[in-house]
Amino acid sequence: MNPALAIHWPMVAVLVRRAMNEILRVPGAAIPGVLAPTIFFLGLTAVFGELTELGGFGTEDYQSFIIGVSLLQGSGFTGAATGVNLARDIEAGWFDRLLASPAPRPVILAGTVLSAALRALIPAAVLLTVGFAIGVSWPGFDGLALAIIGVMGLATAAACWGCALALRFRTQSAAPLMQAGMFVLVLCTTSYAPREHLQGWLHTVATINPVTQVLEMVRQGFLGTVTWHETWPGLVTIVALVAVLAAFALRGIRRMAD
Amino acid sequence: MAGLVANARVVASLGARSVRQTFRRPQLAAPIVVFPSLLLAVQTGGAGGAVNLPQFPEVNGFLDFMLAGAMIQSCLLAGNSGGIALAVDLEMGFTDRLFAAPISRYAIVLGRLAGTAALGAISAVYYVVIGLVFGVTYEEGVGGVVLMVLWVTLAAVAFGSIAAAIALRAGRASVVQGMFPMIFVILFLSTAFFPAELMQEPAATVAEYNPLSFVVAGVRDPVVSVVTGEGALKAFASIVGFAALGLGLSALAMRRRLRLG
Amino acid sequence: MAAIEVRGLERAFQGGVKAVRGVDLEVAEGEIYAFLGPNGAGKTTTVRMLTTLLRPTGGTARVAGHDIVREAPAVRRAIGVALQEAALDPLMTGRELIHLQATLHRLPRAEARAKADELLARVGLEHAADRRVGTYSGGMRRRLDLASALVHEPRVLFLDEPTTGLDPVSRKAIWDEVRALNRSGTTVFLTTQYLEEADQLADRVGIIAQGRIVAEGTPSELKAQVGKPHLEISIADGELERAREVVARLGHELPPKDGLVLVELEGGAAQVAPVVRALDEAGIAVESLQLVEPTLDDVFVAKTGRHLEGNGDGSGASVEAAPGDSSEDGARPEQPAEA
Repeated sequence: MNPALAIHWPMVAVLVRRAMNEILRVPGAAIPGVLAPTIFFLGLTAVFGELTELGGFGTEDYQSFIIGVSLLQGSGFTGAATGVNLARDIEAGWFDRLLASPAPRPVILAGTVLSAALRALIPAAVLLTVGFAIGVSWPGFDGLALAIIGVMGLATAAACWGCALALRFRTQSAAPLMQAGMFVLVLCTTSYAPREHLQGWLHTVATINPVTQVLEMVRQGFLGTVTWHETWPGLVTIVALVAVLAAFALRGIRRMAD
Repeated sequence: MAGLVANARVVASLGARSVRQTFRRPQLAAPIVVFPSLLLAVQTGGAGGAVNLPQFPEVNGFLDFMLAGAMIQSCLLAGNSGGIALAVDLEMGFTDRLFAAPISRYAIVLGRLAGTAALGAISAVYYVVIGLVFGVTYEEGVGGVVLMVLWVTLAAVAFGSIAAAIALRAGRASVVQGMFPMIFVILFLSTAFFPAELMQEPAATVAEYNPLSFVVAGVRDPVVSVVTGEGALKAFASIVGFAALGLGLSALAMRRRLRLG
Repeated sequence: MAAIEVRGLERAFQGGVKAVRGVDLEVAEGEIYAFLGPNGAGKTTTVRMLTTLLRPTGGTARVAGHDIVREAPAVRRAIGVALQEAALDPLMTGRELIHLQATLHRLPRAEARAKADELLARVGLEHAADRRVGTYSGGMRRRLDLASALVHEPRVLFLDEPTTGLDPVSRKAIWDEVRALNRSGTTVFLTTQYLEEADQLADRVGIIAQGRIVAEGTPSELKAQVGKPHLEISIADGELERAREVVARLGHELPPKDGLVLVELEGGAAQVAPVVRALDEAGIAVESLQLVEPTLDDVFVAKTGRHLEGNGDGSGASVEAAPGDSSEDGARPEQPAEA
């Protein structure tokens, strides 16, 4: 662990605990974040299930192909929701309390962002349960571990994105931007079909969109075997996304006093 | 007659307010335009290969098929946004000011629905333009496009009336907002995104009988094939059914609200 | 060393609106300093700068010996802050909130726990410590806010409108706590729009209007600048002229107003008894009398030409707003908090 983070770990932990109240203490608060990706998972499976007849999906069960997207969609929604919550805290004045404390700015941000990584496990758990119930292939323990890493990693990146926008606009009205950003990032990948079936612009975008690497890392276990070749680009992408978006968010928090 | 004119003016001015309100609040506008557009783009690019499946109906392109789904999705979300805005008005006490004014109480709901109708029409025109830009062929020409806009506008009123009923009954924006996922359930269980014959069971059977599928077909036919009397009648009857349900429930919810104070 | 030293502090917002236009002030260690002014005068903007939440666009300031821009983290370690909105998380309990604040100030876990118990008892919230803040009344929230600002025993405590919107009982409880804190050596910088609050609590008062300090001093010094106390005496019919002659021997007689005899008293209340005795000895019946002292509102009027007094809540605090006043605080207009 980074020594600076270790010193400040109690602060991070107490901020994570506080952020977790949002779902632990408000009855039903976790439902919307779980419902949306679950509905999309079931809906897309029911609607586009026959696409596997085109071949090249690596499976005949579309649900095994699409579960990875739904898992990442859950992460994206959770991250965006973290941004919306931060914007609400800024509007309400709560965030000033944190800024007026001697806690370093990166620690304040880390508390908020890490809570998203934990919260993303809730929709992921529900999705996996529903998925296995309707025939999603067992990804193996290594595949499952990679899926969880992908979910938590993307949720962290998405939370950095949401927080950066919240710190920039300081209003909950920016919520659609936070959500749409993640929506685009997760769906403009090989979300619905493998690269060879993507049409026109989406083929190009999915090729350069870094989240495609994360998706393919998460998806591989559900489609068959886990390989290092499919894994490392996803891991590198997560680290890079978190680094870039966290820098963006840190810049935002430092500019709060401007 | 004078009363009718006065109420019509109230409906028009409340409708104009609701349109302005939608475009001034990104939270209300984004679901109507941004999300259906993104989904349309992603589904067209991602699942466009479906047109190569043997059972897929003959179309010029997958976007031609998908356009109706995006329009209906947009007008369902416009209805929901209208319901949320009405609930916010109820929470903030703005509707109390209107209830206290010497106007028909139903004009308040009709005003909101007039705004939703305008938003439906705007979104329909927007998607028609998107289609033109990206090479959609409108098989039934200008007349067909006019019919599409009409269906979407009427459907927006019908869906808006259901959202208004929920807003009037619950009085809380969070409850209406909670309907958001249900909209996607209804959409996925219709032919908005894919032909019923290619969907998985039981969704395929539900989609075949879902009245929303008839509305979607009514909007889709002028793009991909020909408008038939039977198709138009089914679309119209479905919209009337949704509207009757929504307006009936709205009237009951309004009476209850006024009775309980 | 002064606890707070401010020189030419300025803050302009986008569009060039200047909320603070060159504030100079100095607050001594152990002093209670009240920043008095109407909504939009620049009070909150000044506090946000002094608490490092907003960067100044001009001037300098040192709090607890540290520069607010260059040594912002050191300033934050030395200060306690209770901001205007008493923004508390409704989902947390009072105890959790103080514990969180203690952790942010790097207090060890056991010490944080003990501190939470001590502070909750101190502000009379021990019975509600494990209830969620969402269930607290306005007064309870303010007391919790105050308690949370004290976890690290700050050298300087900033209170931004600590009693706005509170009922008189809650307001008095906050005042008592502020006095107690000050007795223990804490320097207090508070902003208020209530004349009575500044008068009752502050050792010194700075009156701010349109981003500038227009008067500064102890409450008595400020009041003395605008006049001396005077006695208003209501006399029985027909005796007015004789009464004027009597009082003129004891003080400077002012022109009568609404049938009342007015006399300025150099010695204030101590001179009331001799006046009453003199009238009695002259056989003049007094129907009523009232000693009228200058108020901080009189000071405000004298300095700005406008009233601060008279918002109808009994505590004074509104103003005939000058054009553009409400926007002067730019991003954060000052508003009464929710009661």
